[in-house]
Amino acid sequence: MRRIGFVVNPIAGMGGNVGLKGTDGTGAEAIRRGAVPHASERASAALKQVTAAGIMFLTCSGKMGEDALRSAGIPSFSVVCHPPASTTADDTKRACRKFLDEQVDLILFCGGDGTARDVYDVVGSTIPVLGIPAGVKMYSAVFAIDPAAAGAVIEKAGELPLRDAEVLDVNEDAYRAGILSTRLYGIARVPVLEDRMQVSKRVIEERDEERAKKEIARFMAEVMDPDRLYILGAGTTTEAIAHRLGISKTLLGVDALKGTNIVAPDADEKTLLSLLTKEDSAGIIVSPIGAQGFVFGRGSQQISADVIRQVGIRNVIVVSTPAKCLETPVLHIDTGDPALDAEFKDSIQVITGYRIAQRKKIQR
Amino acid sequence: MRFAYMHTKILLDEGEMPKRWYNILADLSTPMDPPLHPATKKPVGPDDLSAIFPMELIRQEMSPDRFIDIPAEVREVLSLWRPSPLYRAKRLEQHLKTPAKIYYKWEGVSPPGSHKPNTSVPQAYYNMKAGVERIATETGAGQWGSALAFATMLYDMECTIYMVRSSYAQKPYRKSMMHVWGAECIPSPSTKTKSGQAVLEKDPETPGSLGIAISEAVEDAATHQNTNYALGSVLNHVCLHQTVIGQECREQLAKVDDYPDVVIGCVGGGSNFAGISFPFAGDKMTGKHKDVDLIAVEPASCPTLTKGLFTYDFGDVAGLTPLLKMFTLGHDFIPPSIHAGGLRYHGDSPIVSKLVNDKVMRAVAYHQSEVFEAAQTFARTEGIIVAPETSHAVKAAIDQALECRKTGNAKTILFNCSGHGNFDMSAYDAFYAKQLVDYEYPDEMIKQSLARIPKI
Repeated sequence: MRRIGFVVNPIAGMGGNVGLKGTDGTGAEAIRRGAVPHASERASAALKQVTAAGIMFLTCSGKMGEDALRSAGIPSFSVVCHPPASTTADDTKRACRKFLDEQVDLILFCGGDGTARDVYDVVGSTIPVLGIPAGVKMYSAVFAIDPAAAGAVIEKAGELPLRDAEVLDVNEDAYRAGILSTRLYGIARVPVLEDRMQVSKRVIEERDEERAKKEIARFMAEVMDPDRLYILGAGTTTEAIAHRLGISKTLLGVDALKGTNIVAPDADEKTLLSLLTKEDSAGIIVSPIGAQGFVFGRGSQQISADVIRQVGIRNVIVVSTPAKCLETPVLHIDTGDPALDAEFKDSIQVITGYRIAQRKKIQR
Repeated sequence: MRFAYMHTKILLDEGEMPKRWYNILADLSTPMDPPLHPATKKPVGPDDLSAIFPMELIRQEMSPDRFIDIPAEVREVLSLWRPSPLYRAKRLEQHLKTPAKIYYKWEGVSPPGSHKPNTSVPQAYYNMKAGVERIATETGAGQWGSALAFATMLYDMECTIYMVRSSYAQKPYRKSMMHVWGAECIPSPSTKTKSGQAVLEKDPETPGSLGIAISEAVEDAATHQNTNYALGSVLNHVCLHQTVIGQECREQLAKVDDYPDVVIGCVGGGSNFAGISFPFAGDKMTGKHKDVDLIAVEPASCPTLTKGLFTYDFGDVAGLTPLLKMFTLGHDFIPPSIHAGGLRYHGDSPIVSKLVNDKVMRAVAYHQSEVFEAAQTFARTEGIIVAPETSHAVKAAIDQALECRKTGNAKTILFNCSGHGNFDMSAYDAFYAKQLVDYEYPDEMIKQSLARIPKI
């Protein structure tokens, strides 16, 4: 019997309907403006895809889970949390703690980036999570593409391979002011749905992310010049490169290194610029971040337009696992400087393995 | 024009099938660098090869004779599908609005569906004559494996085929064909050989490669008294056997008073390109047709001729084969799992390599999605759904024809349509699902790292 923890953030997405661009701290305002909750409906649509027997859902009472399960006609669930009528982020976190105690195989949540952060705060990367998208913003990479995909993952929970998925923190106050400011908040683990049409035909190397990261790191360790300064972006792929070089880097930050020395851990833009004034040549190694595949402009904003100009776009190396490439058919570059963005051509080479690269389209 | 109307197919009678193979070694301006023994690094002699090849094939590998007779028994088998038709691609020309004339040699008419039995039949025949009971080989996409299974069946021999693991999963029906013809097919790397075990120990999840599968087959042959090895490409005698293709083309074009300006073939190990181009390369080198443009087409993910080094390297991963002077990406390179599995080879035919290096031939490389785009155009004009390998040649032919549209030049373009894609429909499905990955070889970065290695 597979056990799935299921929690709905009932107010997720409501801010969007009434022009609030998010519901963080504005739930009451959204309701006052007449927003209608739809998260439960979205969750129910995903759950309706589930037919497999042998799944037990653990959930919260009422609109935080129970209602969606009932409306999807799912009989086997157990209510393990009883949140109050007016729910907050703490109720999501409390439910996740309970799910961990109950040793569930997967936590399924319905919400947006804010909900993903709440779940991540409790769960981290200890067990897999999956988001049913219902928020205003979904820049994090933990969401299923549609309810059908979510349904298919739920059916096979516990059997599917896992991959890293960035949880992004979007500054809502800035966002409402028209500025998209994000930072990498954490890296969760999500089950990867193998292509439903071609399960047996998917080439082997695209399935195993850990193997892919090692292969990328093996290649990068071979081609990196030990006398050159490299700026390593955030994430587990760049972390694998550092690991291969025998050094440890900050997972969520940007580090500068030379040879096998970390010159500046968790460096900010100013530090990077001042380091670059002392170097004849340098390189930037980054991995696309988030569900949309941003090479720059999301998650690693320390690597600013000025830093990139200083290094030169010729010296930018993009690395990514094949699984991640598969999910992001196009990459995005948003350095905040449109002229610099335009210098990147229509496509970019992405290192995906040992002496293996892919040509990926860039969308502006 | 001898004919009042434009032919769609140009056919030869069975009696017009070539009676001799054309050996291009006789027409090279400078001699080939010899293969070297993997241990002694001295040139290999016939005795070094006799453990895994029959003497007649060793003789052909090294022969200086311009022509070598095709045994009557072999010609009798080849007549099952040869001479193969030469098509004028009228519909494709109209679609492209090109002044060029496009011809394609259709090798998909053989029972296994590709050019491969042109050499598997004579190889099996000479082994049978030498009293060999079993042949071990490798296969990438399965074209060669199924062709050798077919040939060994004809001569009542056993056949063991090491099939590259990623293709084994991608192309289950090729494996089924081998079974129908009575052969054994094993995914490579396997635990049956020491070379396979070594690879699996290092990397249990490896997709495998032709280089690994060759190691396994060579080891199998070397460690079994009754077993020989057969290679589906690369070697001189394999290219030799394929020259029936180009010789027929020359005859067929002569029937419509034509001669190609451009000859195109896809290249993995190089044999189908060698087959169509060597007779024309001979004409070029001997001054009969100095201007014929010979184009080898390879995948951008495994661009041996366009990005590799021209140097001595092993033909396999384990270093069991002789060292061959060829373009190579390094025998330890495992190319990504493109659908054109037959083109996933780190090296290339030494003769093709030399001719590219000598500028008698040239090479181009394409990404995976653009070649499938071309294959779709071909299927929707000429009807044939080509193998992913062949789609590389189709792409180059279309590009040449489009260039003619720009320049107004009415060139005669000939390409080798080496095999059908009837067992590769999952690759086409991936194309339509927009899931084809445009792999490429990061040659700039590799060059920079090689530049730092101290010169000895």
